[in-house]
Amino acid sequence: MIDQLLNLACGLFLLSAIGVLWRRELSALIALLTVQGLALTGIAVLLAVDRHSVETAAVAVGVGVLKAGLLPLLLRRVLARVPEARETAPLVNVSASMLAAAGLVLLAYAAARPLVALAPTSAAQAAPVGIAVVLIGFFLAATRRRAISQIIGVLLVDNGIAAVAFLATGGVPLVVELGVSADLLLAVLVLQVLTARLHAAFGDTDLDELRELRD
Amino acid sequence: MNEVAAALAVAFALAGVGAAAGWAVPARGRSTVAGAATAGVGAAGAAAGLAAVSGTGWQGHLPDLLPLAGVTLSVDALAGWFLLLVGGVAVVVGVYTVGYAGRGGHGPASRTALAVLPVFVAAMLLVPAAGSVSTFLLGWELMAVTSLLLVLAEHRHSPAARTAGLWYAAMTQAGFVAVLVGLAWLAAAAGGESFAAIRAAGPELSPVVSGGVFLLCLAGFASKAGAVPLHPWLPRAHAEAPSHVSALMSAAMVKLGVYGIVRVGFDLLGGGQRWWWLLLGAFGVVSALYGILQAAVATDLKRLLAFSTSENVGLILLGLAAAGLWTDAGEHAAAGVALAAALLHAANHAGFKTLLFCGAGSVLRATGTRDLDELGGLSRRMPATTLLFTVGALGAAALPPGNGFVSEWLLLQALLHRAPEAGMVVTVAAPVAVAVVALTAGVGVATYVKALGTGFLARPRSSAAEQAVESPRGMLAGMGLAALACAGLAVAPAVAAPALDRIAGGLRTGIAPLGGSGVDVRLSGIASTISPLWIGVGVVGLAVGFAGAARAVGRARRRAAAWDCGDGPLTARMEYTATSFAEPLQRVFDNVLAPEQDVDVTHPSESAYLVRSVQYRRRLPDRIEARLYQPMVTAVDRVGRAARGLATGSVHRYLAYMLAALIAVLVAGVIR
Repeated sequence: MIDQLLNLACGLFLLSAIGVLWRRELSALIALLTVQGLALTGIAVLLAVDRHSVETAAVAVGVGVLKAGLLPLLLRRVLARVPEARETAPLVNVSASMLAAAGLVLLAYAAARPLVALAPTSAAQAAPVGIAVVLIGFFLAATRRRAISQIIGVLLVDNGIAAVAFLATGGVPLVVELGVSADLLLAVLVLQVLTARLHAAFGDTDLDELRELRD
Repeated sequence: MNEVAAALAVAFALAGVGAAAGWAVPARGRSTVAGAATAGVGAAGAAAGLAAVSGTGWQGHLPDLLPLAGVTLSVDALAGWFLLLVGGVAVVVGVYTVGYAGRGGHGPASRTALAVLPVFVAAMLLVPAAGSVSTFLLGWELMAVTSLLLVLAEHRHSPAARTAGLWYAAMTQAGFVAVLVGLAWLAAAAGGESFAAIRAAGPELSPVVSGGVFLLCLAGFASKAGAVPLHPWLPRAHAEAPSHVSALMSAAMVKLGVYGIVRVGFDLLGGGQRWWWLLLGAFGVVSALYGILQAAVATDLKRLLAFSTSENVGLILLGLAAAGLWTDAGEHAAAGVALAAALLHAANHAGFKTLLFCGAGSVLRATGTRDLDELGGLSRRMPATTLLFTVGALGAAALPPGNGFVSEWLLLQALLHRAPEAGMVVTVAAPVAVAVVALTAGVGVATYVKALGTGFLARPRSSAAEQAVESPRGMLAGMGLAALACAGLAVAPAVAAPALDRIAGGLRTGIAPLGGSGVDVRLSGIASTISPLWIGVGVVGLAVGFAGAARAVGRARRRAAAWDCGDGPLTARMEYTATSFAEPLQRVFDNVLAPEQDVDVTHPSESAYLVRSVQYRRRLPDRIEARLYQPMVTAVDRVGRAARGLATGSVHRYLAYMLAALIAVLVAGVIR
């Protein structure tokens, strides 16, 4: 039962990442990110129930608050401040992005085989999903123009890393998760400020404007 | 407690204290403190070396000093010889520094330049004392970094020092990478990184591994030793560094390249194959010839001394090559003599080159120039410095009773040995090497006659040389110590015989010990004996006797003006300059040196047959550098410019690079 729920959560996790690549409206991306945060929280909760671990449950609560609550909230505020940036303006069109995502997921599964072979539990078997989300996050950051897409890309990468950590080890120590979360929160705050400044300076949030800073 | 351990502990502790004190003390007393600390570190290192060459070995492991590997020290007779050499040079340089770098005037009195000095000496002591690959590499890198800081001491005043620093940094790091890869490979193949473990596994290594390791280490060590064609950093760094640093680098640091070759080639790899030593011999021959030719035509005093370092390193490498070849051919007696010649020449070169570089520093301090064409007439103004420089030049010219003579004689004895079983190549190569040593010695005499004659004798050729003042007592005392060491090595080299025997016995190549007794050096296995003391007494006695006889028998002395063709009084413009003295040599070796010269003759407007003025310009670029290194530098530059196209400033492109790299790693993992 728990195994099936875990697989469902992982599926949702991966699907939301691919959805982020598919949709263009930034508000939809933030909604998808919230869904992904919920899926990650679900994974953590299921693991905590499975292992009867209070510490993992505490981590799950923290992850839920941060990834499904705080970070989407921050992103919405950025979006509210930059009204004209409604769409992602991809450098690679959506269908090509979908194909690339399929390739990246395949690669993730191929590359994670030794990792799965280490601990053949059902949780570890789902670990490649996390790696796939890391790659998709990277791909998103590299191929979308608006600065806010880069923030979402970084968040996807982090979600993926957190998922691998949960699935492969069966629960991350609280201290480690706290450190990583604080780091991430800071990064998002900095990026938020940066986006606002970018908008103030260039009247746009297209990162290609930064090219003029070279030389 | 073991003497070696105690002395090394004192040396390293003093280096730390000296560096801290050199940093903290205000400018007035800084050179005194740093100089004294350097001398102290050197004295302690020399004491450790003396104990080690007298037969007290020591091995220690300090696991907590460094993470992962710890520090392993191991001092045997071979390490002791180089500890003694480095320590001795450091004592001289320390005493010299007190006078040279102080008073704020000339010389680098900056905080960094003085505080780093004792650390540099300590790093040079750590290299021979190391007993494992990691400790050796630590010492090697520390030595490279501290010496680089010292080379750059005068970077504010001279752009040439900055160029020299760049060349030195690039070449020393490239050499470090070669040594690092070689030794890491060796440690991996031997299954342990301590020298003891490698020594045990050495003979079982496959020829591919040991050959590859030897080639890599040879490249790194030979470039540190300044062997041609890996030398371009050397004339630059030695000429542009402050003179006491030049002395330390040329006399001590360069020798550690030699130490590395002996340690890896003879000790860790245990002898090896014939082609190794033929290659090393080729390095030696090319270095000796090219070094002395460039020295002979150099007009910059310190550049001359630097190229002479290349030449002497060439002779040392030739000795090592002969030792390896004779061991390979089973001629153990000749091999022992060759090894002894190489090690003794290393010590001799350390003695006279310290003295000469310190002398050059005194000249530079007194006149502000290193250009021999602008000097002259210093013997009146600086008699003590001139005398001390003469002692050094005599050693460097390898004439009796100088100290370089004994080791070059030993080298010739080793090379002249006939070995029927050695094979065709060696039978041909040995006489060629003899000819090269002979030619080198000949050109060497001309070089040092030029340095001493045009630099110190005759009349001053510039107002700076005219107003030179004698160096302070501290500098003279330092140079005096070096001169004493040179004299000791010149008349009684046999005192080193037991130490050399112990070193040869410690290497497992089966090199038979060298015989020796109090006054003379007797070569066991080769019917040859030399008594440097009696040669010295004979030469001095003959000279004094001839002078006395000429005065007693010849006509009475009278004072008269020198003959000047009846054309007014003689001026300094009529005497030999360094350029004109070397001109015949330059003409003979025109094809090798390829000088760039042009002569501009201006005629008066009335007649093309009359001459108003003649201008002569000559440049002697380093040909090997121009042919070998310039294309490489240009290519690297071009690649660097092309690589700028990768960085367009687009954030997306940078992110795509990262993604591509990540995917490439994952794909590589999947495919494997």
